[in-house]
Amino acid sequence: MQWTRKDLLSLYDLSGDEITYILDTAEEFKKVSERRVKKVPALRGKTVVNFFVEPSTRTRVSFELAEQRLSADIVNMQAQASSLLKGETLLDTVKNIEALQVDLVVMRHSAPGAQAFIAQHLSCGVVNAGDGAHSHPTQALLDIFTIREKKGRVAGLNVTIVGDIIHSRVARSNIWGLLKLGANVTVAGPATMVPKEFESIGVRVCHNLKDALKDADVVNMLRIQRERQTAGFFPSTGEYAKFFGLNPATMKYLKPDALVMHPGPINRDVELTGDIADGPNSVILEQVTNGLAIRMAVLYLVGCVKK
Amino acid sequence: MIDTAGNPAVFFNRPAGKLFKKGSCRFEKREGKMDNTLNMLCSSSEVQGAVRQLAADIFKLISSSSGECALVGIHQQGVPLACAIKEVLEKEFKCSPDLGTLDISMYRDDIGNRSRLPLIRETSIPFDVNDKLIILVDDVLSSGRTIRAALDALTDYGRPRLIRLAVLVDRGEPEFPIRADFVGFNLTVPAGHKIKVLFAGDSSEEPGIYDMKWQK
Amino acid sequence: MNSYILKNARVIDPGRNIDTKGDIGVDQDGRFAEPAALAGAQVIDLEGKVVAPGFIDVHVHLRHPGNTLAETIATGTAAAAAGGFTSIVAMPNTKPAADTVGSIELFHRLVSQDAVVRVLPCGCMTVGLAGEEMAPIGSLKSAGVVALSDDGKCIQDHALMRRIVEYAKAFELPIMDHCEEYKLAEGGVMHEGKWSVLLGMNGIPAAAEEIIIARNIIFARQIDWKIHMQHVSTAGSVKLLRAARAEGVKVTGEATPHHLTLTDECIKKFDTNYKMNPPLRSEEDRLALIEGVADDTITVIATDHAPHTRTAKEVEFDYAPCGIIGLETAFSVCYTELVKKGVISLPRLIGKMTTGPADVLGIKAYDMAPGKAADFVVLDPEAAYVIDKNTFKSKSRNTPFDGREVCGKVMMTAVGGKIVHQA
Repeated sequence: MQWTRKDLLSLYDLSGDEITYILDTAEEFKKVSERRVKKVPALRGKTVVNFFVEPSTRTRVSFELAEQRLSADIVNMQAQASSLLKGETLLDTVKNIEALQVDLVVMRHSAPGAQAFIAQHLSCGVVNAGDGAHSHPTQALLDIFTIREKKGRVAGLNVTIVGDIIHSRVARSNIWGLLKLGANVTVAGPATMVPKEFESIGVRVCHNLKDALKDADVVNMLRIQRERQTAGFFPSTGEYAKFFGLNPATMKYLKPDALVMHPGPINRDVELTGDIADGPNSVILEQVTNGLAIRMAVLYLVGCVKK
Repeated sequence: MIDTAGNPAVFFNRPAGKLFKKGSCRFEKREGKMDNTLNMLCSSSEVQGAVRQLAADIFKLISSSSGECALVGIHQQGVPLACAIKEVLEKEFKCSPDLGTLDISMYRDDIGNRSRLPLIRETSIPFDVNDKLIILVDDVLSSGRTIRAALDALTDYGRPRLIRLAVLVDRGEPEFPIRADFVGFNLTVPAGHKIKVLFAGDSSEEPGIYDMKWQK
Repeated sequence: MNSYILKNARVIDPGRNIDTKGDIGVDQDGRFAEPAALAGAQVIDLEGKVVAPGFIDVHVHLRHPGNTLAETIATGTAAAAAGGFTSIVAMPNTKPAADTVGSIELFHRLVSQDAVVRVLPCGCMTVGLAGEEMAPIGSLKSAGVVALSDDGKCIQDHALMRRIVEYAKAFELPIMDHCEEYKLAEGGVMHEGKWSVLLGMNGIPAAAEEIIIARNIIFARQIDWKIHMQHVSTAGSVKLLRAARAEGVKVTGEATPHHLTLTDECIKKFDTNYKMNPPLRSEEDRLALIEGVADDTITVIATDHAPHTRTAKEVEFDYAPCGIIGLETAFSVCYTELVKKGVISLPRLIGKMTTGPADVLGIKAYDMAPGKAADFVVLDPEAAYVIDKNTFKSKSRNTPFDGREVCGKVMMTAVGGKIVHQA
């Protein structure tokens, strides 16, 4: 197969072959960062705008580094969704950006579908760096890349995602990507944050950590936002950690060679204890390294395809 | 990495292993269609002879120079050619240079003009290129643009002492000031035609060198 | 005006239980008349067409005054005429809101200048639709409002709601309520269900509507007064209404063409023309709503015509305003989806667009009997066409039905005998 898309919006849109294609491409880009010269001229002369309408440090830094290693010219823009609402519309803002002959827009936005919306109106490429609770395709791709790298395959693996599933774009993107590559997906956490509706697409829904971890080859512990507690989704982080956190006691439910993942930033001793985050099963820092390779691959593919 | 030891002494055989990714397509079809009719320009035995000659010439250079040598095949068809040359060097000249592969996709000068992107193949330089004699290997020298990109790619790995270029076919119409140091055949085909080198297993066609017309 | 006779049409007049081939006369005063009494009248041959009383829409947002970029009384009523509506009830959430005698008087003046169909004002239940202070209901009645509603908003204070129903009953003003419990619906932009979960959007649960429907049923029963549930959208609401009506409680319900034909799955492309409140629900809800239409739990089809400019709708889904326009597509969409598919007959569909809404407003005997104002519509049930938003009379284009193939077309609309629309 060959790559033909100008945008990366969501893994729901992609076929399993396309996802594998990105992973394969990322393998070569991962090596670039291991070389003496950590840079290739793939996006030389192209301009990428990182437009973040929601604060982000990690994802933005990862994208920026990926762009630099591809020799792109970079502009960073930040805005508040609330101020956008009052003044210029989002569409006018991005059309103004495009009028500066920009080649790619990497965008994060708090509203689901914001990137899909602007992509319909722009001829330059659009990469989704997270849209509300809807989608975060590069995060899921780097998670799946890490799984494939460590386990040698994705199909047939049991992957459990634990935490605030309903508010998580990371969970949704992982679910689509993993399902398309043939993995068995379980989502687990408090019933208020893990809706049964996921069963309609073939995901196992579980409200008991022991059941969720048994047989898991991979467990991805999502970050828990403290504001969910004030909104009444769970009583306290202490209770959350007790019933849904990874600690030496709950680690025993896992297979000895299971991978422990976390999209970061970690709340140590809430989603997982420090020892487990730093322990032998953890691949959390490798996820970060692989994120760079995935973003280079994605930017190369959507940035180099003829518009 | 690249082990051809178990293979029979036929250079057309592609090495097994990591060099070729599963599901990869053999031909990059670009936007045009290939003409169904392929005109054979050189037979497989002629190609075998040319490869022996290339190996012999390269051996002369290797033996006259100090320091280590490596062959680096450029994807796609430079890779099986480099393997074939290495095999002859090993069998007939008891010379065993390192072998690497290079994909130049990230270094192309026509990036952004292609509506379909083929999969990037493995770049594997499992040795230190600093101060080495590097023989770049490709099947056809045409515009020279691939070699320009390959030089950029290669020098990002270090500073070789000497880089030389070996090709099976030189079309003799470079667009860049680039010449091959070792040439199997000098062939000319009309504009708009492509010279296609087929190795065993590439297609149902017999191995050899073909003239192929692009249809837009 | 000259008298005329509509000849050879299929006459469907649900108010008189008539469905027969025949002729309808319109006299010089714009009233229905016996054709035999109209010597020398012009004859309009309507072979193959249907003549019915003009449609009534109890749920229209005209945006005038306040947001005349989206719609005006002139364009909104032209759209109504094009859709076969001869009377429309204008929702009070204009700017300023229709919560004072002055605003109703202004509205009457604007209507008398610009409207091409009858526009009946609806007054607010609370001042500024804020849900806190009772509007001057008696004065509003004197100024000419035909009903009360805080549409777009919902009174969360149950005690206040109870007082308003009691008070409105004394002035014989029906209540039309937008049923939404705010805490449950908070932050929601679409139906809470499979698709909100898959899309990561905040959901509005069915319970947010059903809790208020249940409340209203309790008050309607207790106070013995009419409460009409606007845009009923969930299976649970239909069930509550069905039971209450069987019991004889004075509650009615309306369904919109979009809730009868579209579901939450439509939102997966983030097109803001599928954003409305109440949201498009699940397929199960849609089917229950159709069942409610079929068994007369739902007696009214209303459009909730809600114009918005392209600028307002061309934003992120989360930030887009709710609502779509519906006047010009309602009949065709309902005819295609309900009559053609065998859910209800054409006379019953017409009933839900004429006598059903008339009953909500307390209009008695809404029919084509001689002597009544000649408000009628001519329909061509066999005309198939593709909806093209660019042909709309409405000032706005926010419809999810653009490009949809439909059957059944409004050919002519007359108000008081005067032809206000002709296809």
